[in-house]
Amino acid sequence: MIDNVILLGIWGVIVGLDMTSVGQTMISRPLVAATVAGVIAGDPASGLVVGVVLEFFALDVLPVGAARYPDYGLGAVAAVATAAGTPSVLGTGLGVGVGLVIAYLGGVGTHLVRVLNGNDVVRNSGLLDSGNRAAVNAVHMRGLLRDGVRAAFVTALGLLLAILLRNTVPITLQGAVFLRIVVVGAAVSALVSGAVRFSGRRVVMQWFVLGLVIGSLGVVAL
Amino acid sequence: MSQGIIRGWLRSLLIQASWNYERMIGVGVAFSSEPILRKLPDGVGGESYRAALGRASAQFNAHPYFSAAAIGALTKTEHQGLPPETMSRFRTALSSPLGSVGDKIVWAGTLPIASAIGLILAVVVSPLVGVVVFLLVHNVVNIAIRAWAFNAGWVAGIGVGNRLGAPLLQFGLKYAGPVTALALGLMLPIVSAWLFADFDGSAITATAVVAAVGILLARWLWPTLGGIRYGLIVVVLAALAGWI
Repeated sequence: MIDNVILLGIWGVIVGLDMTSVGQTMISRPLVAATVAGVIAGDPASGLVVGVVLEFFALDVLPVGAARYPDYGLGAVAAVATAAGTPSVLGTGLGVGVGLVIAYLGGVGTHLVRVLNGNDVVRNSGLLDSGNRAAVNAVHMRGLLRDGVRAAFVTALGLLLAILLRNTVPITLQGAVFLRIVVVGAAVSALVSGAVRFSGRRVVMQWFVLGLVIGSLGVVAL
Repeated sequence: MSQGIIRGWLRSLLIQASWNYERMIGVGVAFSSEPILRKLPDGVGGESYRAALGRASAQFNAHPYFSAAAIGALTKTEHQGLPPETMSRFRTALSSPLGSVGDKIVWAGTLPIASAIGLILAVVVSPLVGVVVFLLVHNVVNIAIRAWAFNAGWVAGIGVGNRLGAPLLQFGLKYAGPVTALALGLMLPIVSAWLFADFDGSAITATAVVAAVGILLARWLWPTLGGIRYGLIVVVLAALAGWI
């Protein structure tokens, strides 16, 4: 059983709202969302591991303009709910797997909310164009409410999936290890692909390579 | 007026709440501008107030932090009573630069840099330190940009474009890319070493193979095959292979 399911649910809604609608303070980044979720679930260590792996995935895509991107914050909460209380070797792979599914669904949910917001705007375009204050406030607040409902629904789905998998999937040690290998490999691939794409220009790529060299020397020295 | 400006700035923290494909953050701009427009000559509900609020809700898109400059500048031009056509052209002209500067400085700059620093500190020092430093670094920039942009827009009005040439912003635009690349490069081996700490040789080899295949596929197939889709595919393949 996961500790504090209600608190995890509330944290999920807060994280989901932060991604786009409220402040964008980046508590929705996996590093933060998962670490805090780990503390709530009573397993900070799992929270950190899952948060680091999902943060690698999140660095693959920049939330620019109208880009559609996964909601890794909601994914992180679901991932921690799946992995918490189990040794890292057993929980990380399955947890991150669940996190990716929920992050993807969270992104689809964001797209749906934007379409519904658009329908609302079209329905009220006359009032908006005429400068009706009540219409402006109402359309905007309904958008906020829709995003809150999206965050709550996707978080609930994630927690449900976590509980279901924890209770029904008889994962073997070998399977868990293999799953951890593939999700960590995919995470490294996402990070490197994002960094290489970002560092496309030769001069920027040189800085990336310099960082790699210094970081590697640091690892050897430590 | 100052109370209206503070309310407008606070409302701008919610500017993307009604994001949509029709007007993007247009309604958010109107929602944030409304308290500042209340002091127009004929007051709330008056002709100039309604006309200004109507213009404010038109289509607009920019980076959410830098859009504060648009709110400040657009409301200032409404108070100055510039012709509607001028304000409309001004609004259109603001969108791209405010989006581009924000994308380069924040999304491709301070955010990944803060993330890299946070990740390194989380695994080397402690998770709490990593998370706190990440949030501090990112949000000092977040709040500073929002406050500076709003003030620049309100003070400069239609001349806000010149403020985007401020030395600090130009410095950020010039160095954000190299510093981000350096930070990500530095972070990758340090955090990977931590992640692989209990992996044996064959596990590291297998992880490297999965990563290499993903990198190669992404070179050809991105954005169709981005990081999350590759991650989902390998998890499904692992399940099909009977490992789950």
